[in-house]
Amino acid sequence: MLQRLQDSAFCMWVVGSDSLWAYPTILTLHTAGLAIIVGAAFVIDLRMLGVGAEVPLPLMRTVFRFFWAGFIINLASGVVLFAVDAVHKAKQPVFFVKLALIAAAIVVTARIRRRGFTPRDAAPSAAIRPLAIASLTLWAGAIVAGRLMAYL
Amino acid sequence: MFGFISWLEATGFSTTLRNTTWLWPTCESIHFLGLTMLIGAAGFFDLRLMGFMRRVPIAAAKAFMPYGIAGFALNLMTGTLFFVMRPSMYAFSAAWWAKVFFIVLAGFNAMLFETTLGARVLTLGPGENTPTSFKIVGCVSLLSWFAVLYFGRMLPYIGTGN
Repeated sequence: MLQRLQDSAFCMWVVGSDSLWAYPTILTLHTAGLAIIVGAAFVIDLRMLGVGAEVPLPLMRTVFRFFWAGFIINLASGVVLFAVDAVHKAKQPVFFVKLALIAAAIVVTARIRRRGFTPRDAAPSAAIRPLAIASLTLWAGAIVAGRLMAYL
Repeated sequence: MFGFISWLEATGFSTTLRNTTWLWPTCESIHFLGLTMLIGAAGFFDLRLMGFMRRVPIAAAKAFMPYGIAGFALNLMTGTLFFVMRPSMYAFSAAWWAKVFFIVLAGFNAMLFETTLGARVLTLGPGENTPTSFKIVGCVSLLSWFAVLYFGRMLPYIGTGN
């Protein structure tokens, strides 16, 4: 089934085309999306850790919009990047490590969104700090795992 | 320039680094981490300069910038290592020169802001719109950094001469 996916007309175009709009652009979208997702998580986590304490929390919360926009870009581009190399990637342990790290990072980020922004006017409670550190660590791990997919 | 490039590539330093197992993937991983720090922190500040999130005091939005600059420092170091390891791959790539151009543009843009406009930052309270000059600086910065990312990622595909 993975082989048939990989051999589909669309996938053949993505990897076979000389056009910059095919594989290179999808790959670049995935990197731009990563910058938006983890960049957004980075400033939110810093805020939770006390950096930029003058930024009102409800406004900090709007940064999640960028987070989810980036996530949609990377889900879409990621599905294509998987499809064109499905047989190989389905056998790569580091790919599943990356997926697991992303899943864990999203759970932690969602928990920060729920707990880190109440009460509205006060500083985030100290209890949120371990979550922010976990988020930074998990997102960094996901990036490293993704990069190492080219080598492992 | 050709002489310098082939000299550098032949030095023991370049050769040793190039043949160090896992150095390249390690630098790549750090380069990706650095870019998220830079785009996260600079992007937040740039959006505020452009007039978004107006209720954020502009000086507060700037508080994340030291972390963005740290990300840039990581990328300057790892980027220099990439160049030392494979100088000819970069020096003869149009995409690499485009990337360098946008780094320099972003640098001058930031310097212009710091030296001429930056002082006005502190006089802007929460809720205040930003002057047009701030909007231009923020927009140039944000577009430049994404252009740097674009040409970096496109390095294997654009202007390699093959």
